[in-house]
Amino acid sequence: MAVSSSLSNLLLLVLMTSLDWLSTPGSAFLLDRHHIHSLAPSEPHFTECVSRDQATFRCWWSPGNFHNLSYPGALRVFYLKKEGISHTSEWKECPEYNYSDRECFFDANHTSIWTRYCMQLRTQNNVTYYDDDDCFTVENIVRPDPPVSLNWTLLKISPSGQSYDIKVNWEPPPSADVKSYWMRLEYEIQYRDKNTTHWESLAMVPQTQQTIYGLDIEKEYEVHIRCRMHAFTKFGQFSDSLFILVTEIPNKESTFPITLVFVFGVTGVVIVILLIVVSQQHRLMMILLPPVPVPKIKGIDPEMLKKGKLDELNFFLSGGGMGGLPTYAPDYYQDEPWVEFIEVDAEDAEAGEKEENNQSSDTQRLLGLPQPVSHHTNTGCSNAISFPDDDSGRASCYDPDLPDQDALLLMATLLPGQPEDRESTLDVADRAPPAPERGLLENPLLVQTQSQSGGPRTWVNTDFYAQVSNVMPSGGVVLSPGQQLRIQEEEEEKKKKGNNGPRDTEAKKQQELPFQLLVVDPEGSGGYTTESYNNAQRQIISSTPSPPPGSPRPGEYQTIVQPQPASSTEENQCPYIVPDSPQPAQFFAPVADYTVVQEVNSQHSLLLNPPPRHSPPPCLPQHALKALPAMPIGYITPDLLENFSP
Amino acid sequence: MTKVWFAVILVYLKLWMRVGTAPICAYGEAECHVPSLADLFDRVIQQSSRMHGLSNDLHSEFEKHLFPSRILIGKRKCHMYGIVTPDDKENAQRLGREQLTEVILRLLVAWGKPLTQLYQSMSQDQNPDVNHYSSNKALEISDIVHELRDGVAKMAEKMKLLGVLGNTVGYITAETSVPSSAFSFEKQGEHHSMDHHDVLYCFRRDSNKVKTYLRILKCTILPELDC
Repeated sequence: MAVSSSLSNLLLLVLMTSLDWLSTPGSAFLLDRHHIHSLAPSEPHFTECVSRDQATFRCWWSPGNFHNLSYPGALRVFYLKKEGISHTSEWKECPEYNYSDRECFFDANHTSIWTRYCMQLRTQNNVTYYDDDDCFTVENIVRPDPPVSLNWTLLKISPSGQSYDIKVNWEPPPSADVKSYWMRLEYEIQYRDKNTTHWESLAMVPQTQQTIYGLDIEKEYEVHIRCRMHAFTKFGQFSDSLFILVTEIPNKESTFPITLVFVFGVTGVVIVILLIVVSQQHRLMMILLPPVPVPKIKGIDPEMLKKGKLDELNFFLSGGGMGGLPTYAPDYYQDEPWVEFIEVDAEDAEAGEKEENNQSSDTQRLLGLPQPVSHHTNTGCSNAISFPDDDSGRASCYDPDLPDQDALLLMATLLPGQPEDRESTLDVADRAPPAPERGLLENPLLVQTQSQSGGPRTWVNTDFYAQVSNVMPSGGVVLSPGQQLRIQEEEEEKKKKGNNGPRDTEAKKQQELPFQLLVVDPEGSGGYTTESYNNAQRQIISSTPSPPPGSPRPGEYQTIVQPQPASSTEENQCPYIVPDSPQPAQFFAPVADYTVVQEVNSQHSLLLNPPPRHSPPPCLPQHALKALPAMPIGYITPDLLENFSP
Repeated sequence: MTKVWFAVILVYLKLWMRVGTAPICAYGEAECHVPSLADLFDRVIQQSSRMHGLSNDLHSEFEKHLFPSRILIGKRKCHMYGIVTPDDKENAQRLGREQLTEVILRLLVAWGKPLTQLYQSMSQDQNPDVNHYSSNKALEISDIVHELRDGVAKMAEKMKLLGVLGNTVGYITAETSVPSSAFSFEKQGEHHSMDHHDVLYCFRRDSNKVKTYLRILKCTILPELDC
């Protein structure tokens, strides 16, 4: 049935479009498609009744095929207003005719909303053309006027610059009373590309504005709007078209160089920062990660300590190799074999820039490692434990065998009980001097030892570590005591007495008592010197070209090795050094760190180099002595401490 | 842990929502969010719009399924004809706010029962043209009409309190609203679907009336608005 109705509607449509006067505006079907027109299409009929403002309405008629009725006044319009209970309402004639348009206008007085109107056409002869379906209520025939004052604004442009959004706004039709809510309108926007024929519709909105998204630039668009009453079906006419065309957008270009400049600027800044970082890498590393000072023993290569080359280390410590005190006047101590010398050769020192790799050279120099020349040449020069071309400060030479013994004894006394072979000493001595140390020891130290002939070698109570307690500016290193050394020294002592004035008169005393091994460094930066206040102590001062006059400066190294009196038969030994002696600071003894604790007296004082029991010490510090077992190592262990308890 | 947070958030939201949508206070406490008359009008007008929209949808849906041969439009008779309603804007404005309010209330009250019957009739209808979607819509319409009736009554009370409305607006019941004989489905021997169509047609018209009257009333009572 729906098909037949649609077919009939189609026929009607065809019929209507074939007529000329159907081109009048606002013409539409009075009846919707679901109603069958009882009248034949050719008869006079109403084409449409429309209200624009829900307060008035108009009806148009057509004579159909009855052309004889087409003249004005041939047909008359009658209407019936069905209101109230009674159906006695009568047909009334159209209140206002407009024959030119074949229109019947009902003004506000004749218009009632929610009331059924039925329209009728009558001829002069009272022939009635009436259709029951031509009845309506005014609110159902309302077709509002189109909106006016269309306008648009650009909302947003896409980043690509190819599309944009606009906002269209308009005004409601002036004829519609929307202000007092008499009519509530809904609007529908349609737009299209001007070149196409298909219109795009947007959703109905009750507001007087709407956004259209996604329009393309350089395309002209046409926009029109129509409206209808809310919850009703009939639309009004479309408004006048609004044409929109957006050409190329300039904003895009202006942003492009800005972006480019920004990118390049950032890249340049980054590169500059990188260059700065790379060029100042070391400085930055110093600032950010300052090097942690590592403990160093001047003159000793930490590599040796690391790698555990104890033999070499012992050799170094014992004064073999390059380092060594400058030879003192051996003539002074020729009679005293227990005097040993450490010679420092100032000429060989290489005062290059100082790194750790110079340590070994300093060590050798410090300890006076005997050179192969010294061992092999059977010259009378006992100071052969020196650099090959070092003759400075050497007054005389010793017996050929003495140097060996001296060196050996020195090493023996210095080392914690490790007998040194001649070969090892030779090896050490043969070693080429490494690069000079960093300004600490300018001169290679020559160690010359003069040991007591035939003296038993005892390596007991020798310190493994000989702390450098002072450095003489002349290049000598003052070592803290190794107890077993016996170094003869008379002239050097006296000489050094002149150089190291504040040092006390112990040096003057020529005794067979323990001595001090002095390794003087002309350039040394050490701060303190070993105290030597023993009467019997001797001092071996480096035979530098220019022995520093006056008191030992803070930059002097003095290695003072105090021999162990127990191994010798000397008398008047005051072997131990009291750290808190009233002596001036230049001979301050750092004995406590590296000194072997020999005995503990009754007063619970640790005796570092206690005098032998048989001879009471004539020195100032006098303490009761106790026999102690031999301490092969320099540090006291807890179990050994028990032996110290009085 | 997340569950606890979720629960906390839910509780908070519930409380917040409750505060945001506070019901009308019966006792007029100070902290109560009492909607103003303008708010009431807005709510009621919104509701009436929705009612009219629904009625229009249902009616057009019915019209789609109608047999084209049906020609009883001219003889349609709505049972609300007993209520005199202004049929023009000027008439409505001339009527006065009290009478207008009364007309509105009468209409709403009168339509309560028929709509309920409509729904019941539609749900029982075996006509294939009537689907459940339509019957649900009829139920929705019935509910809306009831709500709107209550809302307009409350609004009238408030207006009386405020003094903008006289006391001539009486209490309206279903019996008094329609002076004439009530329309009943059982009395008609016609096909139910046609009755439904008539009822929907009439209701569509009356819902439009209610919607329009309410708007006119708002403009009359709240003159500061741009009417």
